Amino acid sequence: MSNRVDPNLVSDLEAFGLKDAHKCYNCGNCTAICPLATPENPFPRKMVRYIQLGQKEKILRSPEPWLCYYCGDCSTHCPRGADPGETMMVTRRYLTSLYDWTGFSRKFYTSERFEIMAISVVALLVGMALLIFNTGNPNWEEAAINSLWPAEKIEIADLVMASVLSFLLLSNVFRCFRFIMGDLSFKIPLRLYASEFKELILHTITQKRFSKCSDGMQWFVHLMIMTGYASIFLLVVVFIRWFQRDLPEYPLSHPIRLLGYYATFAIMYGTTYAIIGRIKKKKPVYKNSHSTDWMFLILLQLTTLTGIFIHFARLLNWPATTYFLYVVHLMIAVPMLVLEVPFAKWAHLAYRPVVIYLLRVREKFEQEKPPPAVDTAGVEREGTSQGST
Amino acid sequence: MSNAVTQSILVVGGGMSGLSAAIEAAEAGHEVYLVEKNPYLGGRVAQLHQYFPKLCPPYCGLEINFRRIKANPKIRFYTMAEVTGISGEAGNFDVSIQMNPRYVDEKCTGCNKCAEACTLEIDNPFNYGMDKIKAAYLPHDMAFPLRYVLDPSLVGSDEAQKVKDSCPYNAIDLTMEAKTVDLKVGAVVWASGWKPYDAEKMETLGFPRNQNVITNVMMERLAAWNGPTQGKILRPSDGKAPETVAFVQCAGSRDQNNLAFCSTICCMASMKQATYVREQYPDAKVYIFYIDIRAMDRLEDFYTTVKKDSNIQFFKGKVAKIDEDPATKNVTLRVEDTTAGSLHEITVDMAVLATGMQPNTSDDPIPASVSYDDYGFAASMEAKPGVFAAGCTRTPSGVSESVQDGTAAALKAIQAIARR
Repeated sequence: MSNRVDPNLVSDLEAFGLKDAHKCYNCGNCTAICPLATPENPFPRKMVRYIQLGQKEKILRSPEPWLCYYCGDCSTHCPRGADPGETMMVTRRYLTSLYDWTGFSRKFYTSERFEIMAISVVALLVGMALLIFNTGNPNWEEAAINSLWPAEKIEIADLVMASVLSFLLLSNVFRCFRFIMGDLSFKIPLRLYASEFKELILHTITQKRFSKCSDGMQWFVHLMIMTGYASIFLLVVVFIRWFQRDLPEYPLSHPIRLLGYYATFAIMYGTTYAIIGRIKKKKPVYKNSHSTDWMFLILLQLTTLTGIFIHFARLLNWPATTYFLYVVHLMIAVPMLVLEVPFAKWAHLAYRPVVIYLLRVREKFEQEKPPPAVDTAGVEREGTSQGST
Repeated sequence: MSNAVTQSILVVGGGMSGLSAAIEAAEAGHEVYLVEKNPYLGGRVAQLHQYFPKLCPPYCGLEINFRRIKANPKIRFYTMAEVTGISGEAGNFDVSIQMNPRYVDEKCTGCNKCAEACTLEIDNPFNYGMDKIKAAYLPHDMAFPLRYVLDPSLVGSDEAQKVKDSCPYNAIDLTMEAKTVDLKVGAVVWASGWKPYDAEKMETLGFPRNQNVITNVMMERLAAWNGPTQGKILRPSDGKAPETVAFVQCAGSRDQNNLAFCSTICCMASMKQATYVREQYPDAKVYIFYIDIRAMDRLEDFYTTVKKDSNIQFFKGKVAKIDEDPATKNVTLRVEDTTAGSLHEITVDMAVLATGMQPNTSDDPIPASVSYDDYGFAASMEAKPGVFAAGCTRTPSGVSESVQDGTAAALKAIQAIARR
């Protein structure tokens, strides 16, 4: 196998937030302390080593970054302060940019200016679209969003957006699949992909691997953000006809209204916890914040906040305020979805469960195969003695 | 310095560096006060089973030094004493020495009657608390000075009078109190030595939660004939002979969360201890988990010899975690083999943590304005004019470097006060 060294890898990764990986003296403490590392997939030192050796190709084919949930134990116990947890985070950002065939993700991650410009441009386009495409006949007596932007029309826009997003994300996921599975991609029978599909669903919903980390709080907070986000996405994309409703409001016990409240609470709780954590920098996971981490949290929280304001403006029956907030709300929410889901931090919602699922499929496939000639990965190498220093 | 008012030298610490400094200075004709905190001279070396470079038992080398002290009227030594103040300048220091009560005076002959009369027991500090000793005790078999000590807990107890009465020589004085002695000296050699880094600070290594995880200094006591097991290496939980022993290098060392420096001696110590195990148990298997092996100069020869033993496996990787099996009390070490990049869980009968050397000056600094490095070692041998740091007060060192360093410091001290 050819072994191409990329001498610029470290400087390249610095743009993705790499800081202390050069301090690593390769003692292996991080991998041995990690509650999620296994003999089959030992990390994080493997990634740190690949970075030090300029092994871009190997990083590209590594599933390990997606198996890490960043509890920070490795960084806490690192004798050198090399922050392996953050290095794993950097490789996730890097992989997101490598999986993306448009090249957009890379720009988004490596240039703050581009990031802010992109979001501003999409926001302006959304604002202009809302001003141009509307009924032109708003109800000034009563706060009725549907009088300006009917839910059926928004639904069409939703579907268009969802298709574009799905296409971009799924095409990137396909590239991820090819990199991870390599030559095995199409050798494994479809039957196995189908039978293990439940794993994909299970990990997407529960993120149960995360619960094995020593800091259970992070899993809980992450689950809150994820379920809150998933609920609201369902409401605004699938159930928009029922969700975007004019007065009278549903009774408090109505499932749509309850789900909306749950999502609002869950996202506000999760993002506030994370924002305070990133300001205080006490936990290793919050010590280093890339601009995209902030952008993610700020956009998500602003979307939710404007959503809350719309809700109250409607209930108070303030038409002008409601319509204005609606425009602002979409000018934040749409750029967040369009840019973050296929190109940035949101993309991990697909990559993580997909990679776990693919590893599971591969494991099943190898189990079914006749006994392989050599399988050194998991076997303890008893009696081998390397005396070199 | 021509204006030296006295030619006497104070040496603080009766370990290998301090002994060497005191004896060399005295043999060069200077009056020497040697101050030692413990009730005996010899320091950490007395607690070893064998020491480098020739793997001698320490009593042999210490015996020679004690004879030199006995033969030299210029050395006065104080055990159970601490220096509490140094003022003045080179050639003219005023020092205060606090003498802690031993409750036993010079009439003691070491007859052991007091220990026989005593039922109260304390953790034996000489064996790092691995066994118990009577509260009226001789610190160790060849303690110098050969004089018993009463633990303060005994003096306050009901048994005190009974123990006092048991002494046929009337050597026990229960009313003894700490007293301070002021001395005038021309120069000071500070050699207060080191202590093993507190292994409890590495929470994931489970010391002392896991019974069969011990430290390297404890291993020396297990192997020593006058140790808690009379020299048999047995695991603490059940007294069983270990079939597999793991040495965990850099337990806290080269770790910015603990001791950020390398003590330079632990690799050699663990290899030496591996030979203890192998000599006692011909079938035992030994692992040495390391980041890098430090075997300097001619000691590399020893490393080469140890590597030839096929039952000793050098395993490159830092042990991150040690867990105990509650049933067998075996311990499992989680470690990555960093040459292969593979993750392992290796179960052994007992594990030895190679903890590093923490300078005693990091907690008990020299009572004078002296600068230290980041880790608490004196920043240079001439800590300030007339005050000289030697041995592990200056840098982590083994026995032979300490002898050299102590001698060097003695020479510096003499130069500082020499009449010209």
